[in-house]
Amino acid sequence: MSKIFSKYSEQINGYIFILPAFLIISLFGIFPVFFGMYMSLHKWKVFKGRFLGFENYQKILGDISSFWIFILGLLIMIASYWVWSEYKDKMKNRIYCFVVSSLILLISLYLINISWANMMEKGDADFLNSLIYIFYYSFFAITTEVGLGLLIAFALYQKLKGKQFFQMILLFPYITPAVMGGAVFFIIFGKAENSILNEFIGIFGYDPQLWLFDKRKITEIMFGIKIEGFFAGPSLALLTSILYGVWSYTGYYAIILLAGLSIIPSDLYEAAKAEGATRWQTFIKITIPLLMPIIFFLLLTGFINSFQAFNHIMVMKTSSAGETMDVVTIEIFDHFWDRVKFGYAAAEGVVLFIILNVLAISQYVIFRKRLNYD
Amino acid sequence: MISFQKKELIIPYTILFIVMFLSVYPLLYMISVSLMTSGEASNQYLLPKVPRFENYIEVWSSNNFQQYTLNSIIISGLIVIGVLCTSIPAAYAFAKIQFPFRDVIFYSLLLSLMIPEIIALLPHLLIIRGNIFPLPFGPSWMNSLQGLTVPFFGNVFIIFLLRQYIKKIPNELWDAARMDGASHFYFLRKVVIPMSMPIIVTVSLFAFILAWNSFAWPLLILTKEDWFPVTVSIYSFIREAGTQYNLLMAASLISIFPVLLLYFFTQRLFLESISNFGLKQ
Repeated sequence: MSKIFSKYSEQINGYIFILPAFLIISLFGIFPVFFGMYMSLHKWKVFKGRFLGFENYQKILGDISSFWIFILGLLIMIASYWVWSEYKDKMKNRIYCFVVSSLILLISLYLINISWANMMEKGDADFLNSLIYIFYYSFFAITTEVGLGLLIAFALYQKLKGKQFFQMILLFPYITPAVMGGAVFFIIFGKAENSILNEFIGIFGYDPQLWLFDKRKITEIMFGIKIEGFFAGPSLALLTSILYGVWSYTGYYAIILLAGLSIIPSDLYEAAKAEGATRWQTFIKITIPLLMPIIFFLLLTGFINSFQAFNHIMVMKTSSAGETMDVVTIEIFDHFWDRVKFGYAAAEGVVLFIILNVLAISQYVIFRKRLNYD
Repeated sequence: MISFQKKELIIPYTILFIVMFLSVYPLLYMISVSLMTSGEASNQYLLPKVPRFENYIEVWSSNNFQQYTLNSIIISGLIVIGVLCTSIPAAYAFAKIQFPFRDVIFYSLLLSLMIPEIIALLPHLLIIRGNIFPLPFGPSWMNSLQGLTVPFFGNVFIIFLLRQYIKKIPNELWDAARMDGASHFYFLRKVVIPMSMPIIVTVSLFAFILAWNSFAWPLLILTKEDWFPVTVSIYSFIREAGTQYNLLMAASLISIFPVLLLYFFTQRLFLESISNFGLKQ
């Protein structure tokens, strides 16, 4: 017995060391997905009810085949990028490659458009809208965060005094707990007409706004035109929660981008200088291309992560903003917490999971041959 | 790269000062409101006429706020300890011990990072209520400390960070230790942990902030106030009709304080690990 033990002690040790973490992670990290799928097929209100098959999905999506067409559309969209990146350098004439990939892109947009319209017509409009809201949230938040982060990273890259101090302050919003941060934003972006924020925008000649209490779309407020559907943009209330996201993550991305800037070898810059390149040329031809993989990577992972935003939106939600702040996580939470529809909420979760996985596939396709220069 | 001449450095300085101001402004405003009378607060004054430090005393001594803060400290502390106890050995095993399926197991655990928290919440709830299988320590973990903490004892992300660090420790050290008859456990305790202290401190801070932040989960499983953490209590404070903003801000400030304090002590390590991790993910 002891012989066997000593022969395999290395392996046994290994398994014993990982056992506690493995048990807890598989129980609380991996098992829930499969169990969620199982739940989504049942009528489940607190306790398990009868087997429903895909009825929950039917209710959410209106028409399950439309959902698959929608997913297919997303995948084709990724494929169009793949065609472009794979063949643009292999073909003699880039035009053909461009035409083909834009054709594929058009097809994908068409599929996405008709399948979405179909789902909207027959499915659960609240849930589908919540997907649009989280899209607005993620898209606007992450592009602003990375864009501003880049600007700050450039500023920090200069030879400045007190760099360490600046960096410390920059990360402060990132470590502020979202509930407490949301609480201050709730007050700053309140509806009082003489609030500091409203006084401040008054300097620039804007009327006082209701911020978190305003469910009008941003296009309506800014241009006075009423549009329906996707292109109307987020409501002012949702936009305010996006500002929270920007406040809390910009510094974080700036720090990462700064690290990205500092690993670009300095001989490249010196060589460019020796060739007589202007600063602007060096920036466009060297810095941006070398930084592009990181920027892209941050945009994509950040986009996927923002889909899970919950805490601060929950805190900043007001009843006068109506459902315009009910992003997908809030919608799901609401379904099983307030309305106790467990099976239905689980099905919504699975739909979200599928969409996130498609996004992850796009991440894989885009980064399959990531530039490597370290 | 656009690098500025000395004269032009005013541009980056201006950018940084604006950003710095915006970063700390909410905190400053929080402090300012927390010292106002409730009338001043709801009229959104910039500064209080006379700072009212009594607000802090009022919050601190009312509404079980001390209890909630203590709860948060206990919960977060316990989660940090639990996470370290499971993650350090696991990270060590994944980095240094050879056993069958090691990498397969590691990467399938990493995949679980892809799963959105909101999907997991619902099955978690059923597990905690003891609906799926019988639980140790009682039929249900609703409204209990173990329910609040145990689900967070395993953290793939933290295992990943620790593993990256432990991997860099030279294998020769272990070979030498084994010659002297050391076991893996002994080696882990006497060599690996002391050498990995910087990363252990950083992940502890990560875990602490994460736990201090946790909101959806406690909101879900707590139906009684006994174990309310500060996040949930502040949320219910906001949702109450006629909230006094000055007291709300005083409460928020008190509950941010521990996190800030930890951050100030560990910020250098924290900064380093963010810049490293962001690129190596």
